[in-house]
Amino acid sequence: MTFSVKRFMAIFQKDVKDLYRNLYISSTALMPLILAVIYSRLGDIPLSMYMLVITLSLALVGTFLQCAMIAEEKEKNTLRGLMLSPATLTEILAGKSAVTIVITVIVTAVSMFIMDFSFTGRGWLIAGIILTLIFFIVLGTWMGLITRSVMEASIYVLPVMLIFGMGNMFMELVDQFRLLQVLEYTPGIQLEQIAEIADTGGSLSQLGKAFAIIGAWVAATLVLTIVTFKKRMMD
Amino acid sequence: MIEVKSLEKIFGKKQALHEVSFQVKKGETFGFLGPSGSGKTTTIKILTGQMRQTAGTANVFGIPATQLNTPEYRKRFGVVTDNSGLYVRLTIYDNLKLYADLYGTSLKRIDEALEAVNLGTEKKTQVAKLSKGMTQRVLLARTLLHQPKLLFLDEPTSALDPANSKHIHNGLKELNRQGTTIFLTTHDMEEADHLCDKVAFLNKGVVQLLDEPKQLKKQYREEIICMELKDGRELEIPLKASSAEEIQQYISREMVERIYTKEPTLGDIFVEVTGRELV
Ligand SMILES: Nc1ncnc2c1ncn2[C@@H]1O[C@H](COP(=O)(O)OP(=O)(O)OP(=O)(O)O)[C@@H](O)[C@H]1O
Ligand SMILES: [Mg+2]
Repeated sequence: MTFSVKRFMAIFQKDVKDLYRNLYISSTALMPLILAVIYSRLGDIPLSMYMLVITLSLALVGTFLQCAMIAEEKEKNTLRGLMLSPATLTEILAGKSAVTIVITVIVTAVSMFIMDFSFTGRGWLIAGIILTLIFFIVLGTWMGLITRSVMEASIYVLPVMLIFGMGNMFMELVDQFRLLQVLEYTPGIQLEQIAEIADTGGSLSQLGKAFAIIGAWVAATLVLTIVTFKKRMMD
Repeated sequence: MIEVKSLEKIFGKKQALHEVSFQVKKGETFGFLGPSGSGKTTTIKILTGQMRQTAGTANVFGIPATQLNTPEYRKRFGVVTDNSGLYVRLTIYDNLKLYADLYGTSLKRIDEALEAVNLGTEKKTQVAKLSKGMTQRVLLARTLLHQPKLLFLDEPTSALDPANSKHIHNGLKELNRQGTTIFLTTHDMEEADHLCDKVAFLNKGVVQLLDEPKQLKKQYREEIICMELKDGRELEIPLKASSAEEIQQYISREMVERIYTKEPTLGDIFVEVTGRELV
């Protein structure tokens, strides 16, 4: 398997130029920022609220951007051209993932800046955010492979946003609806646990468990994506 | 360069290709002619590894078409199909720059390729603002960037006006002179006659004739006498002994304005062989 940095960069540059002109897709990046502005006015912000904005920005921007970029290439018949060029699907997906990572990191950092949240001394949280971001990008890639248009992508992203992006909100209803307990194992809530454990000085094994759960999500979506990817290679 | 033997493609219940066999030699321009739905695009898709055949062999550069998916082989051929897409929000230049980078060719080639399709002055134009014909020319320029040894063109001039078709034809002839092998599909018989060293007639997935245009015309020569009469009527009469009397009558009655003979076109031959009109 060859990987050309030059071709990866070519895809990256093209997608940045294209997103810059694509208001429909790029405007989703505004959502977490708007939420951050609203929350920042509330004054005393609990940790869970910061985590909600972080998770939402990872889930919404990370998944949707990735998914919509891939879906649009299929919708407009441009993926076929790329696949007939020397670029490999790995290079194409890597180029897109890089764009998604850059934008998601910027949106998350700016939202936290607006909310006056400091990452200094929060190494565990940063590591958790990186792992969770990988999960959402792999999820977005898988969804991109199974959707055929940007419209379809916008619909598919809704349940992802609800389950993975706003799971933190539903946790308060767990006492009434026992079923919601499964949400406890979503990456977003595990990320919140990481933040809490790290802040209150919990044990390493507690941290390890949270990281392992997120890691399992990454592994599961990765397998799903690779299987889908192999199936879709040929008509 | 291309070797196809007993190629079959079946979509569900529909047989799109039936025992298709042909060869394209290095340096040839090969025309694949047929009406809509005859299997032209399907053949190109198989030859470029975008689709797997149901049976038979399709070799390109001496290897099965399904194995063309390495960067080295990709650099040796170029494809324009009727459903190729461009990035509509980007300019013509940015679209070509992406491909120049992917193929590792110098950016100078962008100007040269645009010049070749008569779009030298439109570099900065956004693709969304282009007409269908201009889009088709940008796609052609994009495949010329890396100077492929083998070029697959699916109806390259179907959306172009005569002036631009002619420009493209001249460009393709020049490319061919420089050694590019061209495989093109078309339902424009004049285009095929003008460009191709060899043509195959495809009808409902079956190759019904395969020869040089010159040979075909010789073989199917059945010359026709055309007469334009003074009363405005136009007649076409086969040049045969049995027609002599009829022709003579028109002449002796001084009804004839103009009289000339006509050679069959590839289109006429196609209709004769397949019993179907093109288009
Ligand atoms: N993906 C597919 N699934 C099912 N049937 C298909 C598919 N692609 C093509 N066909 C069928 O195969 C036949 C040949 O199609 P093809 O696109 O190769 O024709 P064509 O000669 O390129 O026609 P046109 O001149 O309209 O482009 C048609 O009857 C078409 O309906
Ligand atoms: Mg076709």
